[in-house]
Amino acid sequence: MTGSLRVAIDIGGTFTDAVVYDPMTSRVTEAKSSTTPDDFARGVFDTLDVSAIELTSIAQLIHGTTVVINTITQRSGVKTALLTTRGFRDALQIGRGNRPDMYNLRFHKPEPLVPRRRRFEVDERMRVDGTVERPLDVAALVELAERLRNEQVEAVAICFLHSYAWPDHEREAKSALAELLPDVPITCSSDVCREWREYERTSTAVLNAYVQPILESYLGHLDETFDELEVTDRRFVMLSNGGSATFEFAKAQPIQLVESGPAGGIAGALAIGAQIGESHLITLDVGGTTAKCSVIVDGEAAISQDYRMEWTPWSPGYPLRIPVVDIVEIGAGGGSIVWFDDGGALRIGPMSAGADPGPACYGKGGTAPTITDAMVVAGILDPASFLGGRLTIDPALARTAFEPIAGRLGLDLPETVSGVLRLFGELTVEALKLVSVRRGHDPRDFTLIAYGGGGPIHAAHLARELGVKRLLIPTFPGTFSAWGMLTSKPRLDLSRTLVLPLGDAPASRRNEIFAEMQHESECTLVAQGFEPNGIQHQQAIDCRYHGQEHTVRVPSNTSDSEDAFATRFHELHRKLYTFSLEQTEIELVNFRLTSVVNAGTSPEGGTLPQTALGATVERDVIFATGECCAVAVHQRSALPGGFESAGPAIIEESSSTTVVLPGQRFAIDRFGNILIHENRMIGKECSEIG
Amino acid sequence: MADAFTQEIIRSKLLAITGEMGTILARTSMSPIVYEVLDFACGLTDATGAVVAQDNGLCLFTGTFQPQVASILEKFPASSMQPGDIYMTNSPYGGGTHNPDIALIMPIFFDERLIAFGISVTHWTELGGKVLGSIAPDSTEIYQEGLQFPRLQLYTAGEINRAIIDIIEANVRLPLMSIGDLNAGVAAVRVAERRVREMVQRYRTDVVLESFEAIMRHGEEMARRALETIPQGVFEASDFIDGDGITEDSIPIQVKVTIDGERFVADFTGTAGQTAGAINCSRGALLSACKTVFKAIIGPQLDSNEGLFRPFELVAPDGTVFTAVRPAPTGWYYEASANATELIWKALAPVLPQSLSAGSYLSLCAYYIGGQHADGRYWLLTTPQDGGWGACADQDGESSLIATTDGDTYNYPAEVIETAFPLTMLSNAFNTGNPAGHGRYRGGFGTVREYRIDAPNGGTLMASMGRSVTPPWGVDGGSGGATNYYEVERPDGSRERGGRTSNVELGMGDIVRIVTGNGGGWGKPSERDPAAIARDLADQLISREDVAQVYGGGPA
Repeated sequence: MTGSLRVAIDIGGTFTDAVVYDPMTSRVTEAKSSTTPDDFARGVFDTLDVSAIELTSIAQLIHGTTVVINTITQRSGVKTALLTTRGFRDALQIGRGNRPDMYNLRFHKPEPLVPRRRRFEVDERMRVDGTVERPLDVAALVELAERLRNEQVEAVAICFLHSYAWPDHEREAKSALAELLPDVPITCSSDVCREWREYERTSTAVLNAYVQPILESYLGHLDETFDELEVTDRRFVMLSNGGSATFEFAKAQPIQLVESGPAGGIAGALAIGAQIGESHLITLDVGGTTAKCSVIVDGEAAISQDYRMEWTPWSPGYPLRIPVVDIVEIGAGGGSIVWFDDGGALRIGPMSAGADPGPACYGKGGTAPTITDAMVVAGILDPASFLGGRLTIDPALARTAFEPIAGRLGLDLPETVSGVLRLFGELTVEALKLVSVRRGHDPRDFTLIAYGGGGPIHAAHLARELGVKRLLIPTFPGTFSAWGMLTSKPRLDLSRTLVLPLGDAPASRRNEIFAEMQHESECTLVAQGFEPNGIQHQQAIDCRYHGQEHTVRVPSNTSDSEDAFATRFHELHRKLYTFSLEQTEIELVNFRLTSVVNAGTSPEGGTLPQTALGATVERDVIFATGECCAVAVHQRSALPGGFESAGPAIIEESSSTTVVLPGQRFAIDRFGNILIHENRMIGKECSEIG
Repeated sequence: MADAFTQEIIRSKLLAITGEMGTILARTSMSPIVYEVLDFACGLTDATGAVVAQDNGLCLFTGTFQPQVASILEKFPASSMQPGDIYMTNSPYGGGTHNPDIALIMPIFFDERLIAFGISVTHWTELGGKVLGSIAPDSTEIYQEGLQFPRLQLYTAGEINRAIIDIIEANVRLPLMSIGDLNAGVAAVRVAERRVREMVQRYRTDVVLESFEAIMRHGEEMARRALETIPQGVFEASDFIDGDGITEDSIPIQVKVTIDGERFVADFTGTAGQTAGAINCSRGALLSACKTVFKAIIGPQLDSNEGLFRPFELVAPDGTVFTAVRPAPTGWYYEASANATELIWKALAPVLPQSLSAGSYLSLCAYYIGGQHADGRYWLLTTPQDGGWGACADQDGESSLIATTDGDTYNYPAEVIETAFPLTMLSNAFNTGNPAGHGRYRGGFGTVREYRIDAPNGGTLMASMGRSVTPPWGVDGGSGGATNYYEVERPDGSRERGGRTSNVELGMGDIVRIVTGNGGGWGKPSERDPAAIARDLADQLISREDVAQVYGGGPA
């Protein structure tokens, strides 16, 4: 290894981003090129080209990729077969039988990714207590393998009942099949998920199998090219749990990469929180078609094991029982279309102009008015410097797109776009409330951190509406997910369903279970090349009162007595559900272990200028608040640490634009973050429009 | 004056408020039926009881709010109400559904002016009566179905009426849980009051009230526009409810739907009288059943509010199986309710292929398997079962989907069942052993779930499976589907089969087979795409004999 650079590469829908960190100089730089969906690897190398770094000087590389999620959404995975316990061939297609779109009397579930003709029942049966009711019929697998070969099946998933606790039959079947079909990758449900509920576990195994050969060949291709170019072999991927893992781990558990990109943003928010001493954060990532929100409490990101691929309020999606950062997503982004419904009400989204044709102002044939167009009409986005000049936009087209809306409302254009921005803000605030107020958190305790191309544009208004303590715009908001990946640590989340009354699980039994999990975790991490003494473990147990279905996650310690643990559960249950049932038996359901490897230093923000060049221009801007005034426009690269000013202001940089409202103040901290506060002092004179 | 943006903001805030009411209710409730089955609903009405926003987890609550608030206003005039009051009703004959669904209604004031009501409806797990859970399949009077709350004032200016609590505690089997559910309902209407007041504080009373009007006008406009685009005329359908739980007699039902551009009238005149058994529904539940299918036609994803349903009119004499009056039992009302929904659906499916599918397995097919452990403790599995839905005009029907009365309701995993109960699940599979609803498009398949009884002391089975005699209907030459039934197979191989039962004794090693029906087909089987026939054959959903007999030969 010759160099010291750490590089993160994040593939997004439109751009592939790179952020480069040099620990020797603390310098951070960003680079972008277009995403190349026909061959994502090309975009990766294009971006590395743009970044103009010496490839051999890379010491560590971390990659966030959309290959997994794209393979699923485009249904371009491989021909997959499924083996189930006899009697459960249809469990994958039956799913949970629910109809979220409940008034739709033609409702259909998402198509299963393995059709019935490739779902096979196997004679075997484990009982819930681990005793064998029917041994695995290994001999029958010979004939089955022949069939799979004839049908040119490219991947196999196996899910047998109770394998979350008793995986022996699955493993036996896998090793027998692996000998018969040496070229076909096989996923046991117990390889990817050790929790009960057969449908969810089957779905997880099927999706893993479905994408595995695709990701394997993609990462294999990157590996080969990096090898040729003599790029470091310290190559990692970003996992959905906010941590990282090696390429080899990803090839075995590709499904863990499903939310690879967004997880980078959460990792970044955690790192910034640690730097500025803030343990409560709400994150907001506004892109072209959606806004994503999540919450960090006490320095911990919410990780959910209840992810649903392609879930909407109208569709159950495909469940994935893997650890994924808990993100609430709404269909409101820069490309969201403003329209009137049949009843004459004004609506925003969820339809989006996307990247192609894109907003009307892109001049690529789109005529529908979008939020980005409203921003241009409002003077918030500058046509000349939009996306650092990578895209030319035509404000006349944006105005033309909004004229019919204004006409129908009987308003002028400024009134119209101001109202549209206010409405857009309200829709986004509701999503922010879902992760904060509706989960029992008080926004006044939180810092809102906004990123993505659109986050900094809308956040000032949202921060005010939500009533957060302050707003933070990180350096490089447009490539923040990639920046966050640089701060992530190797991580593994394990879980085990083991339903035990607390009375039957004294500390010795609980510690025994965690010790086994810890051993497995360490083996997996050491196999990835990490030092065992750098690993830190955290325990938690999902518990419930006997008779309940839902569980509460309770932190656990090796030294916990039964009483101490029970008290903690009662308290948490009261906090979440307003009551506790102290006389009712407590049931332990899932044991969880999070293991994190402490890695090297993280970047701290960007590189700051020493002196301010000052606001060079002013332009007229219309705000969502209905105010309209001449506003100072700053170049972010010209603002040194310690700079402070009153709003209103516009701060421009190549990947985004930050808005500061009248009545707010902003400051640049020593890491280069923009901090925005409400300020009761009178700011610049502004006039009300309308 | 409320501008277009403010109106839209208020609309989204009202939906957020009902959503928050639902979150709080589910979070605070102690009953699994509430937080797992989502058997609750929350809403906001204007000062007259007209619904402005609603959040319901099941279709069964689509239309009950307005008649319930109206029934309270009838007994307690608005002028007598004050801030902090909360009213309570569960009368099936006063706009409600069945006794266990408790409505709490809170008037919301601003500047001493009544501006709105918050309403929450919660299915309490226990309300006393003849059996645990309060809904006996063989009850013959409402008096066997638990406590009745005949429009009570639970809170007066924030002060609780302690006597009501004492009566509940003395009359229910699980007082802790029932009081928990009561508190959950109270928490929900209180958050509604707080949020509506915050909203009025910010936007002013006149703007908010104007927005209520605008929301309802908008709903009405959406409905009227949709009505204009659908075929006008008179459409009729008749069908049977298969047994009432007391006898197996078929109960004839019928509807005449008139669509004339302005109005959508459902006239149930001619439907049989109320029955002795608990499958009756009352007028409030019937209204919900009708509004469910009305909304399916007008726009399934539109917001529910009073305006949307303005063009709908109900005609039905009192005392029918759909409009039961005191003292008819209504514990299993969702059975008649499901039939009422499907009757309108059946009348209109041939002319509204873009909105409606062919006949489904219809019945919620709820069953209880339970018994006693060796140490005396009771165990009880209670669950509905998903089944086959009818084919559509342009695609096959969906398989294994929960009945129309419900919604985002989940089935029970085998691994959870086997952990909680002395049962082994032998299958969870498509019902391919019974005839499919063949057609140009095929009906979806029902589900076969088999449970082996592993309890040395045995147990009992209780089930209410409708559509056990009259199969799901096809459309346009599509064949009918297959019926629902339970079957108990004894170790000696003997079998016992039926639809509704209050008690089948079960022994160790018996197998209980719950079989839900296959949906009806759409279009003539002879018109089915050979590729689809080949696919079904490869998927082993149909047999070679089906291909020969139904599809006249087979795929090329």
